[in-house]
Amino acid sequence: MAYQLYRNTTLGNSLQESLDELIQSQQITPQLALQVLRQFDKAINSALAQRVRNRVNFRGSLNTYRFCDNVWTFVLNDVEFREVTELIKVDKVKIVACDGKNTGSNTTE
Amino acid sequence: MACVNPVPKLYRSIIEDVIEGVRDLFAEEGIEEHVLKDLKQLWETKILQSKAMEDFFRNNAHSPVFTLPLPNSLHQTLQSSTASLVIPAGRPLPSFTTAELGTSNCSASFNFPGYPIHVPAGVTLQTASGHLYKVNVPVMVTQTSGRASILHPIQQVFQQLGQPSIIQTSVPRLNPCSLHVTAEKSQRIETVLQQPTVLHSGMVDRKHLQNAASDTLALPGNEREIMSEALLSQPESPQYICLPGVVFPPQVSQIDEHREPVLGVSGGVTQNLNGVPLSTGRQGAQHQHMSDIQLHVLKNRMFGCDFVKQPRNTEEPSSLPVSEKDSNSQMDLSIQVTDDDINEIIQIDGTGDTSSNDEIGITREVDENEFLRIIDAGDLKVLEEEVDSISNEASTANSSDNEDPQTDIVEEDPLNSGDDVSEQDVPDLFDTDNVIVCQYDKIHRSKNKWKFYLKDGVMCFGGRDYVFAKAIGDAEW
Repeated sequence: MAYQLYRNTTLGNSLQESLDELIQSQQITPQLALQVLRQFDKAINSALAQRVRNRVNFRGSLNTYRFCDNVWTFVLNDVEFREVTELIKVDKVKIVACDGKNTGSNTTE
Repeated sequence: MACVNPVPKLYRSIIEDVIEGVRDLFAEEGIEEHVLKDLKQLWETKILQSKAMEDFFRNNAHSPVFTLPLPNSLHQTLQSSTASLVIPAGRPLPSFTTAELGTSNCSASFNFPGYPIHVPAGVTLQTASGHLYKVNVPVMVTQTSGRASILHPIQQVFQQLGQPSIIQTSVPRLNPCSLHVTAEKSQRIETVLQQPTVLHSGMVDRKHLQNAASDTLALPGNEREIMSEALLSQPESPQYICLPGVVFPPQVSQIDEHREPVLGVSGGVTQNLNGVPLSTGRQGAQHQHMSDIQLHVLKNRMFGCDFVKQPRNTEEPSSLPVSEKDSNSQMDLSIQVTDDDINEIIQIDGTGDTSSNDEIGITREVDENEFLRIIDAGDLKVLEEEVDSISNEASTANSSDNEDPQTDIVEEDPLNSGDDVSEQDVPDLFDTDNVIVCQYDKIHRSKNKWKFYLKDGVMCFGGRDYVFAKAIGDAEW
């Protein structure tokens, strides 16, 4: 079972909103919506693993760190992200990272 | 359309995978095909509204301009696909409108050539009657069997920029079906943009609510989401949503915790873009409701502040009326209250008592004596210390600085307020727009130097999305 981690992304949130609308208009059932989300989990996990190839480097200062249920959550300040093509600077960023060694089921973000 | 950014393409492929993957599921449930199509279109529209448009605009610096004469039947085609026409409300839209389209000032017109025309994103279509529609995604316009139609594979997003009263139905009227596509000057765009947004300083205007686009273009749920996005994302900037006729003034967005009532009313406003006023009862109620909410919010905030300012005392009844007055009077009243406390304490201690300690010892029980003496010693010590500290402080507004419980209280606030700071940070600390969702290969720490080895991540910075296969980072804690 793929991580449900990516549901809190633009893609995931917009899918959930769309599904909510269809549920409210009673065009689909909530159970079906859940299955769609599971399908989304699979699709995005495999797409990220196979279709994305770029690398990013970043540097900043660590404000907080948390490790709970094998999930790391960091908050960094004044971070610079460097890609080959561009440089992105943000004053605050939150990183939520699940264990990448084995893709177990994960119900949290 | 040259897309250097791989994200839109990746997202489209994911969407396709998901839709294809659930097609069987939908069939098993006995759900019709159009529902799946609706889901796909809703999903794509939301994606486009949120961030992909930035990519499209970024890649289309100069928008060509041309006029497309289209037959009357075109609006029928548009009408048949209601879900595909959505008026976006993403926040970057106005800025891009002015920035991107302002870069070029060309305009041209030509007759429909008969072959499919690709209308890139970022152009503004203007009908001969003067209505402006901005194309937010590439559109293919073809002419088949003597009439123009719009291909569905590409999502069409039109944004009407002005004259909302003209729109009768969900379909932008294209009679006499001559679209003049221009890359407007930024000024012109701004003037047009300001047309539907004249009324926003102050309360939500009734007229705009009446003209609110809960139209068939966007499902009501869509609009709620759009509104909530707008409310949350546009606190004070003048760039508000360009839903036709729907404008939310900055003041409304301040009441974000009470957005439900606002949404409830607006979502319920049926489409009426002809300018015919709806029953004003609803809007009136909403006005009142909102003003009540504002008052309530203000009152709560006032009470909250007052309670914090007040020195601690055990006199609860007196604190309530005190909170309604200004801080000086609060302090005065609280001084009086604490004076009573002081007196009581002193009396209990016996220090203020005229009788001698011997009498206290005689008249009271032995246990009480010991207890009181313990209090005496402790209190005296504390009181002495506080008196010393208070005498050093120059900022207290109280004349009677030697009032011990009050100094006690003043002393405690700075001490304890420091403890609260870290607690307040935690809920806000993790609340940010910039989020990275990924997996970690390895997290390493050496003293306070951290190294991150991450993979398969999606980054969202201020609405813009990025992806990475690998990310390596350093940070110092």
